[in-house]
Amino acid sequence: MEPRVANSLIMTVNENKFIESALLSDIRVDGRRPFDYRTLTIRFASEDGSSEVQLGQTQVIGFVRGQLTQPYRDRPNEGSFAIYTEFSPMADPSFEPGRPGETAIELGRIVDRGLRESRAVDTESLCVIAGKLVWSIRIDLHIIDNGGNLVDAANIAALAALSTFRRPECTSGGDDGQELIIHPPDEREPLPLILHHFPIAVTFGFVGQENTVVIDPTHYEAAVMGGSMTATLNTNGDVCAIQKAGGDGVSQTVIMQCLRVASVKAGDITSKIKDAVESYNTQRSLRKIKRHNPDQQASADVANHQMERLTVSSDQSGIASELSKHDKTNKKNSISKGFSGALASWDPYSRGIDGDELRTSLASRVTPLDKQKEESSKVNPEKKSSPKSFDTTNSLVSTHDVVGLEKKQSKTLKDAVKPKHKRRNRSNAS
Amino acid sequence: MFILFKLVIYENAILLLKSMEVDRLDGRTANQRRPVVCTRGVLHRAHGSASWAQGETKVIAAVYGPKAGTKKNENPEKACIEVIWKPKTGQSGKQEREFEMVLKKTLQSICLLNVHPNTTTSIIVQVVNDDGALLPCAINAACSALVDAGIPLKHLAVAICCCMAESGHVFLDPSKLEEQTTKAFVYLVFPSSTMSVLPQGSEVKEHGIITSVTHGVMAVDDYFSCVKMGRAAAAELSDYVRNSLKLKAGNDLSKAG
Repeated sequence: MEPRVANSLIMTVNENKFIESALLSDIRVDGRRPFDYRTLTIRFASEDGSSEVQLGQTQVIGFVRGQLTQPYRDRPNEGSFAIYTEFSPMADPSFEPGRPGETAIELGRIVDRGLRESRAVDTESLCVIAGKLVWSIRIDLHIIDNGGNLVDAANIAALAALSTFRRPECTSGGDDGQELIIHPPDEREPLPLILHHFPIAVTFGFVGQENTVVIDPTHYEAAVMGGSMTATLNTNGDVCAIQKAGGDGVSQTVIMQCLRVASVKAGDITSKIKDAVESYNTQRSLRKIKRHNPDQQASADVANHQMERLTVSSDQSGIASELSKHDKTNKKNSISKGFSGALASWDPYSRGIDGDELRTSLASRVTPLDKQKEESSKVNPEKKSSPKSFDTTNSLVSTHDVVGLEKKQSKTLKDAVKPKHKRRNRSNAS
Repeated sequence: MFILFKLVIYENAILLLKSMEVDRLDGRTANQRRPVVCTRGVLHRAHGSASWAQGETKVIAAVYGPKAGTKKNENPEKACIEVIWKPKTGQSGKQEREFEMVLKKTLQSICLLNVHPNTTTSIIVQVVNDDGALLPCAINAACSALVDAGIPLKHLAVAICCCMAESGHVFLDPSKLEEQTTKAFVYLVFPSSTMSVLPQGSEVKEHGIITSVTHGVMAVDDYFSCVKMGRAAAAELSDYVRNSLKLKAGNDLSKAG
């Protein structure tokens, strides 16, 4: 038997008839109403320009990268962007690796048209030196789980990734003012892309002959429906693109009704994307503060305490005091770095835990290592995935880490006050 | 007695100092690996799936199988393992082919290939973020995904990375920056051996290294010290993996077909 046929979704006649007759009576198998979207979750990795979107059972991850290239000859002062869609074989047993099939290409074209022709991405701001150097943005969309309605999820992933992408700042400098200096992110804050509006794709499925329409079809419903249409709209009321490739004929009134529904849905989804992007941006700025000035005062106090203990217990010999001096500097560095490192970088995909929350919650607990496990298992309301198990550190000489952390908690009220002052100073200065 | 007391404290202080001499960028000690987050069952269509994150390195693995038929040149008496490696961005190149080959050979040695002859099990690996120790992370993720799919295995494979710094110190689980700046590093895969089922009457043999991939030049003694450190770390990691994969047993509904 042909491998592709064997792997594709084979539904029984019973299933087909059941879903179809249910849809014709406006009942959907997962209990939604005809114009309800599935639950949408948008997550970001700690890196800029990486998004993960989950729409019901469909999961898409998006990455955005930027590169400096020569512009096209007919557009010397505009940057460019390109969308690459990958239908990963992990999403569906019928997806083959290698060259993209028709559906993959169609999806890529729909997302591309929505962004490009509506001029959502501002390409003129991507120009660095007119005619010579421009930014070329590459958007990679990986479909990792096919639960139906890939177009909408991929579109949201692309928009979310574009909203959080930052490109390094470039200025002209050097001896003659002609050289281009690309500033690394530590030196100068990287710049976000300019997005004029968010074109949101909304997919409709048409079932049967009596103009029954459902929104956001699952892959079971997609196997049953006679035709589908994707309308890309934004909140300004513009229709950016409409795609209806074949399928059953549909009357004009139904199309108009669909567009009206789509504009409402576009508003909902746009606000969800904006909320997610904003919480990501606040987390990002919090992370930046920790990186620049991680509680050196508090850790110096801790190190002092440690040093006192050592000098009291050891003899007043020249060697012992030298040792303690070394200890102080090393401990200050390792404790401060260790603490911020441990918090800032673990589990980039956890939801609902931000650095501050975790720090203050740690302050109220006695033993940090065990309680962190509890914390992560409590704040993990994943519906279908198993509970995460979080393992902190494995070190042969971990006693000083634990002591350091414990000492830290006795100081955290002070910590709670100090960072605020530091934050205010930073915002005033910048 | 007081002199003894002073000596003990002095020695502890020296030990403390030595271990903190090597200052890694993120504050870890030489023998400290990054925190691991392992989640099973992340995907709905795949028969088995797992995501494995070591610090910032994150990999998602999915398993489909066993499917009917083997590839052209494979032995039909045994099950066939197929690995597809998807990089984060860009086309699949030589590096991806190498990873696929290493992963395939590693997984072939841990799967029980005689249980389902003339079948193909596909493992798809998607790189979400690469911050050092990518191949070990992928091997761990693939192993967890195989467990999630219920593919029969002899034992689990536990992978770690050890690197050799200029100063002669051996570090466990380097980040991307450390990997790029060290003299040499090695990816090691060990079996999680302690509770494997052995036929009656056979002696308990110490299981060897399943896979070892080195980059860079290192002395033979250094390699052996890496192996020693790696084996200890793998033993600890395998306990963690076993515990985390156990949690979901009994709640699974069959996803095949």
